[in-house]
Amino acid sequence: MAENKKRVLEMLAQNKISTDEAYRLLSVLESEGSTSEGTAKAGTAAKMKSKYLRVCILSGSEHEHGGKGDRVNIRVPMALIRSGMKFTSLLPPEARDKVTGALREKGIDFDMRNLKPEDMDELLEALSDLEVDVAGSDGETVKVFVE
Amino acid sequence: MKRPPMLMHVKIRGERRGFGLWLPIFLLLPLALAAFIILSPLILIAILVFWPRGWRKRALHIFGAAFEVFNSMRGLKVDIQGDHHCIYISAV
Repeated sequence: MAENKKRVLEMLAQNKISTDEAYRLLSVLESEGSTSEGTAKAGTAAKMKSKYLRVCILSGSEHEHGGKGDRVNIRVPMALIRSGMKFTSLLPPEARDKVTGALREKGIDFDMRNLKPEDMDELLEALSDLEVDVAGSDGETVKVFVE
Repeated sequence: MKRPPMLMHVKIRGERRGFGLWLPIFLLLPLALAAFIILSPLILIAILVFWPRGWRKRALHIFGAAFEVFNSMRGLKVDIQGDHHCIYISAV
């Protein structure tokens, strides 16, 4: 954005465009900038509005036999996830090392000490875009999404 | 500030029998507060015992975090239904 404005001013200095044209171009650039900022803000607001993490699992037999079969429907408030994640910072160092060790054994190289509150917020914000939709060959469906 | 859940609906059904329960949490809160006041001398002793070990701050944080988790439970819903069983938990 700033580069475009600079280019317009350079063109004005070189007398390639008139003052009116430069003014018009600059106002167009400014209006474009405010529109993109507005879109970004709206996106962030939508993300902040997401309140629940939903997990829905329907077994295949439910579709086949009309309402019979296993069904799991879980709705977890995002605030609860946020509060729960704060517990990780309260873990004693020994327990944290054990968890890190257990994760490493499973092939997950993740150190819980590196998890900071600001990272948690970012993680939860990113979670708003999460959508998992798995359909099995037997008619089983697994859906994980944020609403 | 988040509002704590006021009611909790628990419904469990097995193959033969089941039960449903509406737990009035808003009535349990004053009881919990009374229990906390009664147990406060013991809590104070525990804090003094753990003070040299550096657990005091952690213990206080755990209390705070547990209270926050409880307050965030409003809207939680777990609904698991099978052919012969059903578990339903909802915090309102």
